[in-house]
Amino acid sequence: MKAPRVLFVTGKGGTGKSTVAAAIALAHSRRRPTILADLDRRLSAAAMLGAAPSDGTPAKVTNSLEVVALGARAELDAFIARIVPIPAISRRMLRSRTFGYVTAALPGLEAFLLLERLRILAGDAALKDHYLVIDAPASGSAIELLSVAAGVRNISPTGTLNRLADSVAAFLADPKRFGAIITVTPEELALREALETEATMRERLSIATIAAIMNRVPDSLFDTAELAALSPLGNHARLAIRRNAAHEAALAGARRLKKAGIATVRLPMMFTPAMGMDELEQLGQVLDAELLER
Amino acid sequence: MKAKRQLDSIDLKELKLLVCVGPGGVGKTTMSAAFAVQAAALGRAVDVMTVDPAPRLLDALGLGADSAEPVEVSLENLRHSRGSKSHRARLRALRLDPKRTFDSIIGRYAPSDAARDVILENRIYRNLSNALAGVADYMAMEKLLELASNPATDMIVLDTPPAAEAIDFLDAPRRLLELLNSRAISLLGAPKGILRSRLRVVDIAARAVLAAFDRVTGLNLLSDVQAFVASFDGMYEGFAARASSAQEKLRATDTAIVIVTTAEASRIAQAREFIEALDRANLRVAALVVNRVMAEMPDAAEITAAAISAPLKKKLKRNLSDYSALKTREESSLSALRESVPKGAVLIVAPDLGREPLTVADLAEVGRSLRPR
Repeated sequence: MKAPRVLFVTGKGGTGKSTVAAAIALAHSRRRPTILADLDRRLSAAAMLGAAPSDGTPAKVTNSLEVVALGARAELDAFIARIVPIPAISRRMLRSRTFGYVTAALPGLEAFLLLERLRILAGDAALKDHYLVIDAPASGSAIELLSVAAGVRNISPTGTLNRLADSVAAFLADPKRFGAIITVTPEELALREALETEATMRERLSIATIAAIMNRVPDSLFDTAELAALSPLGNHARLAIRRNAAHEAALAGARRLKKAGIATVRLPMMFTPAMGMDELEQLGQVLDAELLER
Repeated sequence: MKAKRQLDSIDLKELKLLVCVGPGGVGKTTMSAAFAVQAAALGRAVDVMTVDPAPRLLDALGLGADSAEPVEVSLENLRHSRGSKSHRARLRALRLDPKRTFDSIIGRYAPSDAARDVILENRIYRNLSNALAGVADYMAMEKLLELASNPATDMIVLDTPPAAEAIDFLDAPRRLLELLNSRAISLLGAPKGILRSRLRVVDIAARAVLAAFDRVTGLNLLSDVQAFVASFDGMYEGFAARASSAQEKLRATDTAIVIVTTAEASRIAQAREFIEALDRANLRVAALVVNRVMAEMPDAAEITAAAISAPLKKKLKRNLSDYSALKTREESSLSALRESVPKGAVLIVAPDLGREPLTVADLAEVGRSLRPR
C-alpha cells in the first residue's frame, strides 16, 4: 500500500468528483479504517454512501468507514470558541453580522483554519493507522484553498501563524502524507483543466498528484468495419459512434496525461438508470486494483 | 417560428443584459458564448464577459488567454446565417481581471492620489484583495457597468463564476455596500463620521477576538485591516452610487437571468437551490437551460429490420439498452426540475451536440438548437 495518508480528490466541475471520492473511500475501507471528509456544502459524497453527518458529528457507514462534514465556517466557529471561552458571548458573536464582515475582511482565515484542521486529522489518522479521503472543491476553488498557506506566510513573515503556515505547507508537500487525485472525463476541456491543475499544484504548491481518474469511459463495443456497416442506420449508428468516440477520447486523454507524467486510472461508464451503492462498489473494485493496491 | 416565440423571455433581439448563473461544469461558459454568438448573428453589437479563472470561453472563441480588455471575435462564417443586414453586428469577448479592475476603481474614487497610493500599497490590499469578501464578484458588476456605458454596445452577456451560492455573485454590490456602511467599519476603527450606532457587547467581544488573534499570531493584521478599511473613507459615496446602479441593472425589464444546468441529479439539486436563492433575493429568473440533454432513443425495431449480421444486431441492442438506461436516469432528473420552474420562466433544453463545442460555428449551433420544453 503506497497511497498517502490523505487523498485529496478534486477535478473540473461535473467530472464526478464526489462519486469518485465516495468510491475510493469505500474501496479503502474494505482493507483499512477510513474517514471520508466531505468539504462540499451539499455533502453529496456522504449522501451517495447513505450517510448524513452533521456539524462535528461523524456518521458511520460501516465499521471501517466514517464520514465527517468539514466546512471553513465550522472551523472558524471552533477557533472562536477556543479564544472566547464564554459560550453565551461567543455564540452571540458568531451570529452577529458585523462579526461576519470582520472575519471576511481577515483574508483566508477560515480557509486556513480548515487546512490546519486537515493537517491535524492527518496526524491523528497516522497515529491510529486510518486513511483519509477528502471530497474537495472543484479544481479552481481547491487551488485557492491550498494556496492559503502560502498567502498566510506572505502576510505574516514571523510569529505563531507563520509557524502554523509552515507546518501546513510541509504537510501538503509531503507525498507520504498528502496526495491529490484529479478526476477527468473524456472531454477536451476537462482534460486541459486536469493538466493545468496538476501543473499548478506541483509547481506552485509542491503538491504531488497520485493519479488522474478518467471517469465515465464506455467500453469499446464496435470495430471500424462494424461502424462502417452501420452507417445506413442513422440514429443507431450515431449512438454507436458516440460510444466508440468516448472510448477513443479516453485513451487519447490518458496518453496526454502520461506525457505530462500523470498516471491514469480508467473508470467504466455505469450504464444504469441510477447511481447507487452497487455502482459505487463496482467503481471501488476498479479503484482498489488500479489505484490503491497497485 | 413557434419555438422562437416561446423563447421570448430571453429575446436576444431586445435584451440588453443576459446573465448566466449555475453550478460548475454544466457548460455555463459555453452557453453564455452561444447566446452571445446568436445575438451577434441577429445583427447586434455584443460583449461577452467571463469571470471564469480558467480562460475557457476564450478558448472556445479561439482567443488568447490574456484578454482583460474586450477582443473582437471573427463572425466571418456567421454573417449571412440569419440574413442580418445590420452593420452594427459584432462580438467582443473578455475575461475579467478583478485585481486590475479594483485598482482602476480605487484610482477613480480615491479623493486624492495620496489616498489612492495608501490603499494600493496596503499589505492586505496587495496580498489578498481578491480574497476579500465578494471583491471579485463586485468587480464583475463594476466592469459590467463600464461595458454597459458604451453606446456602441447593444447587449452584454455575463458568464458568472460557479458560485457555491448563486446570489453571492448577483448580490455582491449590496453586500459590499453593507460592509462599508456597517458597524464593521466602526469596529475596525473607521472615522467617527461613518459611525452609525454605538458598539454593543458583541462587537466588543469581536474586537477582543481579533486582538487575541493578533496577539497569538504576532501578525498585526488588525491594524492593517483597520488602515485598509479606514482608507475607504471618502470613497463611500462613489461606491454606493455604483452599487445601486448595478442593482437596478440586474432588475431591469431588459435583463434576463438564466440558470444553466445539466440533467445530472446532483446538478439539478443545485439548480433548484439557485432558483430558491434568486427568488429570496427578489431576482427574476427568465429561463432554465438544461444543457447536453441526450437525443430521443432510436427505435429498437430498426435493429431487427436492418440488413446486418446477427452478432452486430446483438451489439446494437446492447448499445441501445445501455444508453436507454442513461436516458431514463436523465428523464427522472428532468421531471424533478420541471416541478421547480419558477413562474414566468421557461424551461429550455440544449441537446447534446455529440462533441464539445470548440469553435464559433459550434457555439452558433448550440444557440440554434435551444428548444423550449
